[in-house]
Amino acid sequence: MALFGIETEYGITRDDVPEMDPVVESMELVRAYLTASFERRWDYAGEDPHEDARGFRASGLQQDKEEDEFSKVDARRPFSFHEMKSDLVLPNGARFYNDHTHPEYSTPECRTLRDLLAQDRAGERIVLRAAHRRNQMLGGARVRLYKNNTDFHGHSYGCHDNYLVPRAVPFSSLVAGLVPFLVSRQVIAGAGKVGTEAQESRYVPGGYQLSQRADFMETELGVDTMHDRPILNTRDEPHADRRKYRRLHLIIGDANMCEYATALKVGTTGLVLDLIERGAAPCVELDQPVIALKQLSRDPDLKAVVRTKEGRTLSALAIQERYYEAASRELTGSGEESDWLLKEWGETLHLLARDRSQLIGKLDWVTKQWLLETFIQEERLGWDDPWLASLDLEYHNVNPEQGLYLGLEAEGKAWRMTTDELIEEAIRNGPGDTRGGLRGVCVQRFSHQITSVQWERIQFAGGIRAHHLDMGDLFDPQEVRRCMNVFQRAHSPADALATWSHRKDTGT
Amino acid sequence: MKHIVTLERREGPVDPMPKAPRPQEEGGPRRPDTGSPDKDSLMKRMRKVDPKQAERYRQRTGE
Repeated sequence: MALFGIETEYGITRDDVPEMDPVVESMELVRAYLTASFERRWDYAGEDPHEDARGFRASGLQQDKEEDEFSKVDARRPFSFHEMKSDLVLPNGARFYNDHTHPEYSTPECRTLRDLLAQDRAGERIVLRAAHRRNQMLGGARVRLYKNNTDFHGHSYGCHDNYLVPRAVPFSSLVAGLVPFLVSRQVIAGAGKVGTEAQESRYVPGGYQLSQRADFMETELGVDTMHDRPILNTRDEPHADRRKYRRLHLIIGDANMCEYATALKVGTTGLVLDLIERGAAPCVELDQPVIALKQLSRDPDLKAVVRTKEGRTLSALAIQERYYEAASRELTGSGEESDWLLKEWGETLHLLARDRSQLIGKLDWVTKQWLLETFIQEERLGWDDPWLASLDLEYHNVNPEQGLYLGLEAEGKAWRMTTDELIEEAIRNGPGDTRGGLRGVCVQRFSHQITSVQWERIQFAGGIRAHHLDMGDLFDPQEVRRCMNVFQRAHSPADALATWSHRKDTGT
Repeated sequence: MKHIVTLERREGPVDPMPKAPRPQEEGGPRRPDTGSPDKDSLMKRMRKVDPKQAERYRQRTGE
């Protein structure tokens, strides 16, 4: 399995302010998490969203114009760029910041699904704690946060899953192997949505679909993320040694509340990447992937079929079955986690076709549909009643006293891989076998000596010249543990870097 | 130049390599109780939701 992580942009609103400024609110929320004053330390120098994995640099993004407009407005605010971003790097190696208009939590890099789920859930609690502190400052319960992807007015925000992939795998192989899988992945990973919409256009109430994001996907491939969103994002920002690695940056996914859905979303995608790397992915070429994505999303009965380039028709379940069968043939016995995933993936596809009720508490779109149908019967509503969109929204509320999913979870109706203790531990520490955990150790031990951070690099102050820890090729778990051990024991970053450099040179 | 900032809270020395339990060990996956939901409790929570909450909810486009 690859190294992976999830970035989640949260929806934010205030009950007491009709025309809330999302930039200021997101900034204030992130800062409410601090126990001291903010100073910049995220280094944006290595980031360039214009680099395209197809081998060129985009001259401009669709969102550049809008960003320029925002920048003009932002220039009139009494904050600098870095103050508005309010980038925090947390003791668990996660990043928590204002991604312009949304509080965003990016998990540290994880190697196991258990760690990923714990870190993703840690993010929910971190933003909730920030909201509690912000509410205390405001003098009442006013800020609400939603782990979802739409405002039901044509505005979407993302939950991106990321995977470390060898650069040797041709990008064309990733496209061929991934697009049909991603178009159909929503049957297990969709968060469910009442109504339909499109980018910055009118919301149409009524009906129910599998995915929150399908309405906002407009093209098959592309480097953009805010307009003309692609099924497969081609942004080429590896955040690692560019000669050896890619970062697969998937923007098509929904934000999941169900741990099981998150585990299957990331886990099965990892298996498909393994298949592609081995040249064993099934050959499915969809005729019109973007249209297929929307057709499949809008059919919660899972009866819809989409056309392949060969002229055959396949349902979402049939496409998933092809990938599942290839993965079973090729990857059974390759690891404990892979075997668990194969078992659960197969069982889920079986239950989707035969007894969906057993997936309540495991898949978000199934769980939400069940809740809404129960409510519709109780209250005698129609699917176009505006109350249902509000209930859809509140399913994703991260406050356990308000959120519908979290209410269900509190009743023991949700499948859990994490425990509360594991989540609390994930708030304190990152994974012990990834550079994400190492980043967290550096924050815990040498916070005051860190001058800047990128995903693959930490810059320390001290001495005549600055020192840095390069993590662009630090992925071997044993090597990570050795490096982490050095930073745990050292008296200063300079000592740690000298010891680590010596050990790398001598192989000790 | 001052440097950063405490984040949340500084923790004491910790095990740098916390071991996550395996799926079948204690704390492993727990299946949902698929019996009847506590309808009263959940329905009560759902009825408390303001029908106009989504209508008022506005965000800017994100990524």
